[in-house]
Amino acid sequence: MIANTKEVKDEGFDIKRSAEEVRNLSFKDHICIGCGICESTCPVDAINVAEIGPIVREEVDMPKIDIDEDKCVLCGMCSGLCPVDALDFTIDSEPISNIVSYPHYISSAEIDDDTCIYCQRCEIACPRDSITIARSLPERSDLVTGEIEADEETCIHCGICDEMCPTDAIDVDRTPGEESIEIDKDKCVYCLLCKKICPVDAIKAACRICSYGDYDLNPEDAVTTGSSFIDDETCVKCGWCQEICPVDAAKVKKQYEGTLDIDEDKCTVCGTCIDVCPCDVLSFPESPGPATIVDNIHKDEQYCIHCGACERACPVDAIDVKITNVDYTPTKSKSWIDKFEALKN
Amino acid sequence: MPNHIASGLKYLAAIELKKQGFNQQMIADELDIDRSTVSHYLNGRNLSWNSIEVAKTITNLCPKDFLIMTRTLFKDEQKTRKIVSICKSGDYHAEVTDSCIGCGLCVDLCLMKAVSLDSLKAHINSICCCGCLICQERCPTNSIKILEVNNDREYERS
Amino acid sequence: MELKVNQDNCLGCGVCVVACPVNVSISPDVSGGHGSRTEEVIMMVENGVIKLFSEDKCTKCGTCQMFCPVDAIFLE
Repeated sequence: MIANTKEVKDEGFDIKRSAEEVRNLSFKDHICIGCGICESTCPVDAINVAEIGPIVREEVDMPKIDIDEDKCVLCGMCSGLCPVDALDFTIDSEPISNIVSYPHYISSAEIDDDTCIYCQRCEIACPRDSITIARSLPERSDLVTGEIEADEETCIHCGICDEMCPTDAIDVDRTPGEESIEIDKDKCVYCLLCKKICPVDAIKAACRICSYGDYDLNPEDAVTTGSSFIDDETCVKCGWCQEICPVDAAKVKKQYEGTLDIDEDKCTVCGTCIDVCPCDVLSFPESPGPATIVDNIHKDEQYCIHCGACERACPVDAIDVKITNVDYTPTKSKSWIDKFEALKN
Repeated sequence: MPNHIASGLKYLAAIELKKQGFNQQMIADELDIDRSTVSHYLNGRNLSWNSIEVAKTITNLCPKDFLIMTRTLFKDEQKTRKIVSICKSGDYHAEVTDSCIGCGLCVDLCLMKAVSLDSLKAHINSICCCGCLICQERCPTNSIKILEVNNDREYERS
Repeated sequence: MELKVNQDNCLGCGVCVVACPVNVSISPDVSGGHGSRTEEVIMMVENGVIKLFSEDKCTKCGTCQMFCPVDAIFLE
């Protein structure tokens, strides 16, 4: 009578129920980080999350999660609690993040364009390649300007400036009787070498940028303009951009606050957690020398989103991730509040 | 034959509306039938008494069977809703607990359109509810309780 | 997903035995490159080829597959 339909696509799948309203749950495999929160959230146990380690290493080719469409009741909880929005839930094509009655995480990543200096450090650091910083530099020819003039009266046409000029902007004709000096302003870079080397001070010149020389000129402003873009689909709000920004233009509000502990006695330093971590929190420590064995995993906890993917993937249960605080928009539904609160363990 | 039974159900609905004080034109409008047919029904000039007997038996089935049987006979959800709401023999009160997750399955399942969602919780209109319990049976979190508060069903004595 | 071995390909090098994090936690001897003294481990080299002992302990992390030079041990 009322049945769900499932459509498997290249990068995930859709589960749909069309009756009084059209409910659609869309899974994006390339966004999923395999944290397993949806599996533990699902009220009808319809979700099964695969072991993520071999999948991210491309040892096996299978979807990260599977949803039994016969069990799924399309309540949208998995989507509401997915920390990275790998599951999109829409009702009549409206995402539930736009529907006030549905709660969602209060999290954000923003770059303030007024403060940003477009250094692109965040773009390079972002572990999910979510940031694009486009910048346009001022035209070099607009900045390299100045004034230059040769005084034919004083010039003795010795040709020293011609020989020294780094850009071949000066042409001195030394043929007796037809002597002349010409300066090509298109080629000149106003380095003032000619002015300094001229034995008879026949060249008057000034550089606009450094205001050095015979004229008093106002330098042009050298302003780099640009724009920043964070792809909200792939961004996991890990905080790399905020940490690395030299001018505090990037601001990140994480979904969770929490702790990450690695039990060094249990850890066998296999590196599975390093492979699964979506935000490059974990790494092998720098080896103190050749042929030395590293015996722990290094963590940069400031980038941790406490998703628990590493805890789930660790083969020897050495990792303990705890969520201590979750921020979400208010809702009247007690069952949804319970699910958000249950994340804290 | 199914058409005769459907007519039997309409007959019962017409009688019931008459009891409630509807005049012939109002009954005709309500049931979407000719006024002359209503007149025939109310004056006892009608189809076979046998069909009415079967129709009466159907209205006395458990609410879920009554609802599904009626839908099968009419093949139209709006007409089904009309007949069932007029001929239903009990009144119901629904309770939805806080464990409701707002999945909307009950909204989609309810043939009587008695359920709506508000703030991620199902709300059941007791006036529309026919007591079929389909929502209660299918609710993934067992959050719905339908209570029968009044019953004037005729039980056959054997 | 299941742990499988292909004994025809296996060189018997034992890299998987020492790489497996579960093995190391069961029998710390193997991390030093020694053979395990217990058959409690997931896999061991026996008669020159790899053999699975307690595959039910495998947590499907895929580390063995990453280190095996000839794809003789893998998840499927």
